[in-house]
Amino acid sequence: MAEPFRGLRSALDARVQAWIRRRQGPDPDTVRLDRRRIYILPTSLGIGYAAMVFAMILGGLNFGNNLGLGLAFLLASIGLVAMHHCHGNLVGLELRLAAAESTFAGGEVAFRLLLENPSVAARPQIELAAGSAPPRVADLPAAGPASVELRLPAPRRGRVPLARYTVATRHPLGLFRAWAVVHGDHHAIAWPVPVARGRTPPGVETDTGGAQDRAQGEHDFAGLRPFQAGDSLRRIAWKAYARGQGLLTKQYAGTDVVSHVFDWEALPALGTEERLAQLCRWVLDAHERGEAYGLRLPGVVIEPNVGPGQRERCLNALALHEDGRGRA
Amino acid sequence: MDAPESGAAAGTVPLRGLGWILAALLVALGPHLPFVPPWATLLVVAACGWRWAADRRGWPLVPWWLRILVLVIVPLAVLGSYRTVNGIEAGTVFLALMAGVKLLETRASRDLTVLAFIAYFLLYAAMLRDQRLPQLPYLLAGVAFVTAALLRVHAGAGGISPREVLGRAGALSLQALPLAVLLFVLFPRLPGPFWGVAGGQSARTGLGDEMTPGEISDLSVSGDVAFRVRFDGALPPPAQRYWRGPVLHEFDGRTWRRPRAQAFPEQEVVLLGDPVDYQITLEPTDRQWILALDIPSEWPEREAYRTYDFQLVSPRRLTEVSSFRLRSHPRFVAGAELPQTLRRKGLQLPAEGNPRSRALAAELVARHGEPLAITEAMLRMFREQPFVYTLDPPRLDENAMDEFLFETRRGFCEHYAAAFTLVMRAAGVPARVVTGYQGGEFNPLGGYLIVRQSDAHAWSEIWVEGRGWLRVDPTAAVAPERIEQGLIRAVAESEPVPGRLRDASELWSQVTLGWDTVNDFWNERVVRFNAARQMNLLERLGIDDPDWRTLGLGMAASLAAFFTALSVYMAWRFRAPARDWPARLHAIVTRRLRRRGLVPGPTEGPVAFLERAEAACPDLAPDLASIRGLYAGLRYGPRPADADLRRLKELVNRLRA
Repeated sequence: MAEPFRGLRSALDARVQAWIRRRQGPDPDTVRLDRRRIYILPTSLGIGYAAMVFAMILGGLNFGNNLGLGLAFLLASIGLVAMHHCHGNLVGLELRLAAAESTFAGGEVAFRLLLENPSVAARPQIELAAGSAPPRVADLPAAGPASVELRLPAPRRGRVPLARYTVATRHPLGLFRAWAVVHGDHHAIAWPVPVARGRTPPGVETDTGGAQDRAQGEHDFAGLRPFQAGDSLRRIAWKAYARGQGLLTKQYAGTDVVSHVFDWEALPALGTEERLAQLCRWVLDAHERGEAYGLRLPGVVIEPNVGPGQRERCLNALALHEDGRGRA
Repeated sequence: MDAPESGAAAGTVPLRGLGWILAALLVALGPHLPFVPPWATLLVVAACGWRWAADRRGWPLVPWWLRILVLVIVPLAVLGSYRTVNGIEAGTVFLALMAGVKLLETRASRDLTVLAFIAYFLLYAAMLRDQRLPQLPYLLAGVAFVTAALLRVHAGAGGISPREVLGRAGALSLQALPLAVLLFVLFPRLPGPFWGVAGGQSARTGLGDEMTPGEISDLSVSGDVAFRVRFDGALPPPAQRYWRGPVLHEFDGRTWRRPRAQAFPEQEVVLLGDPVDYQITLEPTDRQWILALDIPSEWPEREAYRTYDFQLVSPRRLTEVSSFRLRSHPRFVAGAELPQTLRRKGLQLPAEGNPRSRALAAELVARHGEPLAITEAMLRMFREQPFVYTLDPPRLDENAMDEFLFETRRGFCEHYAAAFTLVMRAAGVPARVVTGYQGGEFNPLGGYLIVRQSDAHAWSEIWVEGRGWLRVDPTAAVAPERIEQGLIRAVAESEPVPGRLRDASELWSQVTLGWDTVNDFWNERVVRFNAARQMNLLERLGIDDPDWRTLGLGMAASLAAFFTALSVYMAWRFRAPARDWPARLHAIVTRRLRRRGLVPGPTEGPVAFLERAEAACPDLAPDLASIRGLYAGLRYGPRPADADLRRLKELVNRLRA
């Protein structure tokens, strides 16, 4: 409902987060939650509970009813004991990032957090949350680990940082919420979304460097196909053009292991994101076919290779191209 | 907050902990059942049942308009029955019904939490209603149970066994108990109510302000305690233990009543002999009577006053256990002068009825003339003629007193007091009926007198020129045992005595007296705990001149101490697992052997090291061999036995020595 309050609240939240950040400083890889970094406040249910207990105390005092007062004090004490249990449920918990899973932009990246319970008592109802997604809940067994996956939306290519996540609990009665904020420089990567299949990669030949030209003689002329934007000018069948057959590109078929180098410069007609999307498509297709491929981006050269490692290297390079710039 | 389980199938998602909350509501409603009208109970139970079925079967919840309708009807229904939604009676019903309404729209754990709060409040209302000791265990268990339900609601989707829920909630409540006790003792109390006064306490047995001898006996011969008395000095003898209640002046031929109007001149009282000082603690009666020993001579001015007919009355109804410090004088001359209004009151009779009694009076006047002689003649009649003291008298009709005096001749105190007073009035002697209690049982365990409802009594007072009002107890003439030994000794052996064991065995009476002592302690120390007693307690704990600052400091200190203790407990609860014992013991063995120059090699396992040590130290070889076997068994065996571990500890200790 109240919009202005929401604005106020998020501003307040930001101030609080900044304060916490300043107070705690950067965190090591494995974070052990000590008392200093655990915050605790009553939930709205806890405030309702306190109001109820307060009303009971007033009534008991007014009517001089000691049993009613006794009940009110018992409930107040239960609330306070519950507060300690809530706080204690987090103290000593150890967290670290086990893995960050990248994805294509528009999907969700996943951070796998490992929670280690170093004590003999179980820790139920540990909530982990990052961003605005609903929290993930884990019940930690006594002296046991659990892993929780936090998912973050990745609307655009590039790094998706997990700059901050909260670990919280409302155990046991839901009257209090204890939480701790963990800062890290973890990130996952959102790769560019590949374009639809269509444009064929420029084969083994590029118009820069001679490394691929070395293998040219081993390839046989295989035919012509219509020119596509981005095709190398050297491959255009100028003779056919002179005959008035339009722009055609020469194609060669090789008998050796196909080894592509997908080059940024090979797609001069496209904008940055389109080029990246096209390169991404080629990388994926080549990987699927089991071909060796390399990547050449301004400032980045990845020698041809095969395998999932190569795929990830290439995709990451594409995702991080001019990271953060020109993508407003 | 938990996200409300809304969406396409709103309300059809099974709710975690619903069953627990329903059970908690019913548990909290339990103590109220005798006071809640059946229709309300039925509605709440039906709502619980419906919500449960809806949850199981996936029925849709009630549409919004029906909920609004119910929400409007419920307060109206309560208003219709009670004319208010305030007070304990109406408030309880209202709260219970609101819980039922809340059930109709319960779809999230937040709603269940609100229901748990309502259950807490119902338990609170039960404590406001009745502070007696026997219901305490139920209420404590109820609190723990509602807490368990609350815990279940917030325990998450993961499976948690009912046993675990109860265990955790029980632990939570037990841990909270010490702090609750500290707060109870140290929380500053107010000297009096600051708004309103609790009303609607349910009526209890006690003395009324009228009596009708001959009606079906409604005398409740219950063993319930009416009040307890602690004497500063010696216990007065039974014949002096007359506890004065309402005085009945008005007689309409059947019923004796306490006058509504109380505007009569006060009468002079001359006190004689030694006073009796005592503290009386009355169970709640919902009436104003303070049953002082006849005749009350000193009382706390702001808490009581004495009426023109010498009854001690509180300005407000005694809805709670109440205690008064009083002084009485068993010997006195009261009302030597009789004002005209009171003389008329003391002689008032209906125009006709009970002709034979009136004739008897005329005959007595003619024969004896003087009031005391007439009294003596009446008592002689009761003594010598075949009058019987019984709790089961026949029913009396039109001229009840005539029938009693001349035909049935069976009755209890009411009959004798009423008949005597009637005859005295007819004889021209101002007389009245006094109701109250007589006697009481001394509890040697607690050192106080217990007066029970079964000690209720009625006697007469006549006014004699120059001597004032004199107590005449005609029952004493018929059944002197009643006065000396109490009701049970006075009635015939064969007569059924409801609610009370006639000849309690020695053991049983010890048990009942012990239980009464506990109840007395409860009343005195817990129910009647107030600002004054709080300060008393602090003084006895060695604090000089305590005031509210002392209380504040005490509370702060006890909170700090409690939190420290709780933190220590939490640290223990979340301690790291112990290193396993075999490894620890092996480390000790290794240290021991190191002194002999034996050091385990970098790749040498514990077992191999021990084998080498056996060869190197032949004196220790047998022990080391046993240690090796036990260690291997405990470490790598399929089922390590505690007995083996004990044996291993023994051997290692021996090695150390």
